[in-house]
Amino acid sequence: MTSFSPHRAFAVARKEVMHILRDPFTLALALGLPVMLVTFFGYAIDFEVKDIRLAVYDRDGGPAARRLKEIFSASGYFRPVEPEAAAGPIGMLDSGRASAALFLEPGFSRTIKGGGEAPAQFVLDGSDNSKAAAVAGYLPGIAGAARLRLSGPGGGEPFYAETRFLYNHELNSRWFTVPGLSAIIIGLLAILLTALTVAREWENGSMELLLSTPVRPLEIMAGKLAPYGVLVLAGVVFVYLSSRLVFGVPFEGGHLLYLAACVLFITAALSQGLLISVLARQQQVAMQFALITGLLPSMLLSGFIFPVESMPRFFRALTMLLAPRWFMAAVRGITLKGADLSELSEPFLALGLLAAGMLALALKKFKTDLEP
Amino acid sequence: MGITLRAFIRKELVQTLRDTRRRVLLFGAPVIQLTIFGLALSTEIKNIRLAVFSRPDDAMFLRLAERFYASGWFVPAVRGPGDDPMELIASGGADAALIAPAEGLRRSAERGSGKMQLLVDASNASKARAVEAYSKSVISEAALREYGTPLRTPVRFDVRVLYNPAMRSSLYLVPGVMGMLVCLITIILTAMSLAREREVGTFETIVSAPLSDLEVLLGKTVPYVILGLLDAALVVGAGYMIFGVPVRGPLWQLALASMVFVVATVAIGTFVSTVSRNQQQAMLGGFIFLFPAMLMSGIMYPVENMPGAMIAAAYLDPLMYFVRLLRNIMLKGGDPGVFWTDVGAMALMALASAGLAYRRFRRTLN
Repeated sequence: MTSFSPHRAFAVARKEVMHILRDPFTLALALGLPVMLVTFFGYAIDFEVKDIRLAVYDRDGGPAARRLKEIFSASGYFRPVEPEAAAGPIGMLDSGRASAALFLEPGFSRTIKGGGEAPAQFVLDGSDNSKAAAVAGYLPGIAGAARLRLSGPGGGEPFYAETRFLYNHELNSRWFTVPGLSAIIIGLLAILLTALTVAREWENGSMELLLSTPVRPLEIMAGKLAPYGVLVLAGVVFVYLSSRLVFGVPFEGGHLLYLAACVLFITAALSQGLLISVLARQQQVAMQFALITGLLPSMLLSGFIFPVESMPRFFRALTMLLAPRWFMAAVRGITLKGADLSELSEPFLALGLLAAGMLALALKKFKTDLEP
Repeated sequence: MGITLRAFIRKELVQTLRDTRRRVLLFGAPVIQLTIFGLALSTEIKNIRLAVFSRPDDAMFLRLAERFYASGWFVPAVRGPGDDPMELIASGGADAALIAPAEGLRRSAERGSGKMQLLVDASNASKARAVEAYSKSVISEAALREYGTPLRTPVRFDVRVLYNPAMRSSLYLVPGVMGMLVCLITIILTAMSLAREREVGTFETIVSAPLSDLEVLLGKTVPYVILGLLDAALVVGAGYMIFGVPVRGPLWQLALASMVFVVATVAIGTFVSTVSRNQQQAMLGGFIFLFPAMLMSGIMYPVENMPGAMIAAAYLDPLMYFVRLLRNIMLKGGDPGVFWTDVGAMALMALASAGLAYRRFRRTLN
């Protein structure tokens, strides 16, 4: 009786599949979330800051001022808006009708024509950092363009660097967000859904019922988790297909390696979901636990949007313990860089260890809770 | 408010707060999350690992490299003596590589070329963009120093950053994270708690109590409005104490905005619960609303960046208004025009969703 019976585990799995299929609405919601995320990140989200509303206060009116305005709008980053006399520049920034303001004082064009350096005051709305930091980054480029267009040749720099962007020449935001979505989807479905399903058995008392049958705890666990593993894998396959077919994201690495990374991370996530359900036993508590330890770290601490290297030292160390961070590194390496296992040995080793650790922990807790 | 209703609300609050784990999750977790995200997340790119490749005697280039590392944005990449720049980036050992001209930087510059090569790992596109911008500014600064004569820059920008002069990410992320946490807690908890009654079957008991439909609805939802507001206050307090995020506008503006927003989200949560039969559906349904709401809200990237149709959709997102308002009130001091339009828009949404939720709720009762 102590040995693991695949037959009994399969029976539990079949029961779970029937559960899932009997509730098509839940299934549709679970599969609808990946579709929605891919649509959003694929079509709507662009991390390149564009169309910044710039109010130009031109008190000079000369040709150089006009040309500078053209340079701003031709850059594609700025959209000049008419300054409102009544509100004033600060009023426009306060109300958000403009994100930046440029002031050109009288004499601006004359100074430039005389070969001098004319100051231009540039005021930025700092309440939105993602915007402010990007805008401040564009200014050197604008100044460079102004150098070429306003003072003619001879203003070049003694040395400069020609930039080559590797793996994503056109800096397409989609290429890094869409493949990374598999981490979010695993974090969401594997952890949250599992935590809730198993917590529900505790809440309803049907777990006790299952226990009184000859099925061993290990078999219950395997049987309950396997269908969700398949469901989550379907979500990952969807992300893979849509990123390649719809968004043309390249896939340079090996498919087997990619699958291995997914299986490792899914194992870790499912085990985490199970652990949460054992600890919480109520769906609402399980949901909040899963949210805090699963979904939010997957979204925010994995390097999905905010780079891990920019975090303070303590948090960089903390992310070492988070499977999503390693999964993200592996996925980006495989899809865009075409890295092989020897180059990804570190993420894979970490993922393997974390998955094994989480599985062992969930197993131990699950068994001690079940066996008096 | 009737005595029965008050008792009902009290019962709901007691039920939610009885469990220690729940109290911790409701009040401890938001503060911890705010702290983690406020401390850990930064929109500024730092610690870019840069490898430099040159002849060992290229003094001008090595000085340039020193400037890179002294700028605070770049750190030296660890590399072996025989490493190739491309391979180093492919293996993740470096984020960028700067390669000197073969003849040496000084000779190349004096010959009129001065072209170096910068290889950037663009597997994270926004990071790559920042790396390029930083590199350019370090290089032109260095050119200025090396060649003494100031460059002929016709325009000099004096940049002033309003509201957040040090450009601290936390000042901007804390209002966003606050909006997100309040939204998350209220919508999902409301939806799940109502769905739970239905799942467990206690809903019938409540319905058979001597309460009107409206009283049942209020009794089930008002506690979550109260909890959401407590959480909002807690997060603002924590943001002020831990990160020094100011509240430059009047407090009543903050309170009123939070109130209207929480009513709207609780109403949305109620609506979600009326279309779901169990807690799983309620949770997933909540996320179907939450994800677009979070992504369109401007918490992580500006709303204006999205395509036109999405911007139009963002105007139906209560979270977008709330985050915009929070930033306006906390950092800008609360512009009355923005305040009243945004509160008005949220109030309309709250009314509409409450009306819809009430109608569906009555239908599910009978």
